Amino acid sequence: MNKPILRVEDLTVTLTTRDGIAPVLDNVSFSLNAGESIGIVGESGCGKSMTALAIMGLLPQPVGNIASGRIWFGDEDMVAVSDARMREIRGNDISMIFQEPMTSLNPVYTIGEQIAEVLRRHQNMNRRQAMVRATELLDAVRVPDPARRVRDYPHQLSGGQRQRVMIAIALACEPRVLIADEPTTALDVTVQAQIFELLSDLQSNTGTAVIMITHDMGAIAEMSERMIVMYAGRKVEEGTVDDVLDNPRHPYTRGLIACVPHIQEVVTDQRQPLVEIEGIVPSLSEFGQNACLFASRCRHVTDQCLAARPPEAQVSLQHHAACWHAEKLS
Amino acid sequence: MAGNKAVANTAEPVVGKARHPVMEAVAMFFGNYAAVVALIVLLVIITGAVVGPIYYPTDPFEMVWAPFSPPGQEGFLLGTDYLGRDILAAILAGGRVSLAIGLAAAFMSVFIGITVGALAGFYRGWVEEILMRFTEFFQVLPTLLFSMVIVALFGASLPMITFAIGIVSWTAVARITRSEFLRIRELEYVTASRSGGATNFKLIFSVILPNALPPIIVQAALMVGSAILFEAGLSFLGLSDPNTMSWGQIIGSNRPYILDASYTVTIPGLAIFITVLAISLVGDGLNDALNPKLRRR
Amino acid sequence: MNHPNSNADGALVDPAATDAVTDTALLQVQNLEVRFQVGSRFGVKKYLQAVDQVSFSIQRGETLGLVGESGSGKTTTALAVARLVSAAAGSVTLDGDDLLNCSGDQLRALRHKMQFIFQDPYSSLNPRLRAEQVVLEPLTNLGKLSASTQLETIDRLFAAVGLRPEQKRLFPHQFSGGQRQRIGIARALATNPELIICDEPVSALDVAVQSQILNLLRRLQSERNLTYLFISHDLGVVQHMCDRVAVMYMGRIVEFADRKSLFNTPQHPYTHALLSAVPSINKRRGAANTRIKIPGDPPDPVNLPSGCRFVSRCPIAIDRCRQEEPVLAGSAQQQVACHRVAEPVPIRQLLADG
Repeated sequence: MNKPILRVEDLTVTLTTRDGIAPVLDNVSFSLNAGESIGIVGESGCGKSMTALAIMGLLPQPVGNIASGRIWFGDEDMVAVSDARMREIRGNDISMIFQEPMTSLNPVYTIGEQIAEVLRRHQNMNRRQAMVRATELLDAVRVPDPARRVRDYPHQLSGGQRQRVMIAIALACEPRVLIADEPTTALDVTVQAQIFELLSDLQSNTGTAVIMITHDMGAIAEMSERMIVMYAGRKVEEGTVDDVLDNPRHPYTRGLIACVPHIQEVVTDQRQPLVEIEGIVPSLSEFGQNACLFASRCRHVTDQCLAARPPEAQVSLQHHAACWHAEKLS
Repeated sequence: MAGNKAVANTAEPVVGKARHPVMEAVAMFFGNYAAVVALIVLLVIITGAVVGPIYYPTDPFEMVWAPFSPPGQEGFLLGTDYLGRDILAAILAGGRVSLAIGLAAAFMSVFIGITVGALAGFYRGWVEEILMRFTEFFQVLPTLLFSMVIVALFGASLPMITFAIGIVSWTAVARITRSEFLRIRELEYVTASRSGGATNFKLIFSVILPNALPPIIVQAALMVGSAILFEAGLSFLGLSDPNTMSWGQIIGSNRPYILDASYTVTIPGLAIFITVLAISLVGDGLNDALNPKLRRR
Repeated sequence: MNHPNSNADGALVDPAATDAVTDTALLQVQNLEVRFQVGSRFGVKKYLQAVDQVSFSIQRGETLGLVGESGSGKTTTALAVARLVSAAAGSVTLDGDDLLNCSGDQLRALRHKMQFIFQDPYSSLNPRLRAEQVVLEPLTNLGKLSASTQLETIDRLFAAVGLRPEQKRLFPHQFSGGQRQRIGIARALATNPELIICDEPVSALDVAVQSQILNLLRRLQSERNLTYLFISHDLGVVQHMCDRVAVMYMGRIVEFADRKSLFNTPQHPYTHALLSAVPSINKRRGAANTRIKIPGDPPDPVNLPSGCRFVSRCPIAIDRCRQEEPVLAGSAQQQVACHRVAEPVPIRQLLADG
């Protein structure tokens, strides 16, 4: 068996708001094997971005805090390491790309300088070496004419090219884990296809493990081997992409798959109304209750769901669902 | 049936209290202790200026005792000045004038500033070009010099002093108003009103302006403070109405005796200092309360 | 069926406009052009042609989709149709009335036949107004309403979009994104319009809420015989919502077809690429490598390539494409602007061969 390189254990992250302290991540555990690709899917506010920020040690200060749990990177607990060590890991061993390629780059430096800066900080390269490597990296992320582009400023690039530059910066130090937080949400669909292709090629060439965070089930299906579905700060289902998509056991996962108007291979005159997930997501003040947080929107709800938080039921070796009725829903 | 189903679909417990955004700002303001203390101080000062002269009817221009009688001695709480006039009476009466000038000048600059800024920001194009060049013209004038010229030319009456202060300080309001209008006119709810058939007049005054007000209110509050300072500056230079008492006037007239009887200058100076500080703190509190980004925190 | 001309609120419909309509189309757009000035150099003004020679018509009760990526001109087209940006050329006729050449009260009256649903449920509601005031705003712009009319209208509209009556005194920030969009829809319905322009109405919403809003829009359409101009970049949503679809690229319509033709037998290489680029739960891992790819990014809209606008990204471009701009041609069901559709080999085959 592969030894996991990243292991999140019972992670609870709290956010202090005006109305009190809310667990935006509530006892979340998962692990990531070397070279593996895992997808985290959920609606806004479900905690998927918080998971990424917690791993990166970038929780919003002073309101966001890790209340309990461990994040093991190899043999190191990243919750306990010093800030200096965290800075070493960040950008070098674990790096991240963000949703907004427009605001993630500094407008006053050329893109070459911004890639080189990472290399000089983490790899002790001199200026010349770093610029040469930056050009190579731009070539690797398929930016046309990299020797000229390396001297361009961010505003001279299109959105898709900026996201390629972000990927080049993230991969500059050959990290072992890459976290991609909605990397293509701000991009057009044809450009998204290019970025996905680039990411999966880079992953198979470099062996970097990828955590892909998105709201798009289709993106997960194409990009990931395993997936985690999150709802209201909790992991509701985890399994291989095939298992979860073909045989979802949590009612929320089912709803999430069915409510999207997927492109049909063959279009007919028939158009059924879309499946709706009724109601709205719980507010932060309702997070952390000892009950199933999806109960108010669930059509399979029973008294048991309101009385206690459902444990993770094992459906198969790799497939778990946090639902009291996971056995029955198949 | 379909309608009932849709209602059920949105069923969720939140029907909170309908709290007007203004009420939220008020609640936020009262959570800021410095601002609340400053507001109380300011209310005390305003009350003193309004009712003080009624309960302490000594004429501030009348010689009531020997000159340079120090505070607390010989029956005068704040002493007398170089002509033997009661300083307490002067502070109370002068407070009325200083605050009135501050308010009136701020009101005037807000009025001019909003008009110019709103028209420039809403209509863009040549309207904006002309109005902003006009604003820049007033901005580059040396303010103190310009107001001195106005007062010197047209006489040092109270309305003229107010006018002189107002005319040199509206440009900041105009710029803020314009930039808020430029931002808000692009928001979709303005487009929505437009496509709903709203007239330009309605768009400017009842759609955009209420949403542009928060920074303007803050600026107006701070402007009251700076207008009081400005008036004191003019009085200090002798450019004030000699027949009305103001805090600046007390300082200006006692200026030659600053070394022999420093209290004659320090006491009105302190009054100005405390008032302007209180206004600034209230302005800061308003800024925090009205700034939605801070409120979300 | 609630015919718009006989609506209860009255006063909203120009009676002169209802006769003398020979065409059944509710909205007719012909050769619409919009350009924006993007600066001038040496006194020569430079323009960005955001919408170029766009023509389409919408029949009563149908949904026309405008799809395309950012910069394709789909939203600008809609804004120009609603007179929210000014058109440089062309004509727009709504129910027989010339929209581009009217002004003042006549324009305001016409605007009530055509309402807008916006993309961003956060910026499209005035934060200082209560939900009921937001919804009534288009009506109060015409004149004062009696209190009883107001109450009756609000209750009717809130019920229609699935909001509860006790929510009408709340302010926009007290609603969730989906509920805000319901308020936006209620506002659009207030004047009993015939045409509703939906500009990416669900793209800012979470997927679970999207389905609620899409179902609501379809239900309202069948109940009130509404006509939609539906703008979206999401082909799944367009496939679900639209009866006919216009695919736009860099300001032009490159393919115009009914729903079944477009999705079952796409013609234009760009349409092929768009459809193939959409990630889907039916395509599994690795599918990214087997799709029809178009390289590069959209061209600079100020310096478009000569000939066909898609030529710089088209995998099957030939010399003719670089010289001559193709025009939209084909049957009533499907029209395409591509030089290579006339060839015996289908586009799909050409693309597959690379």
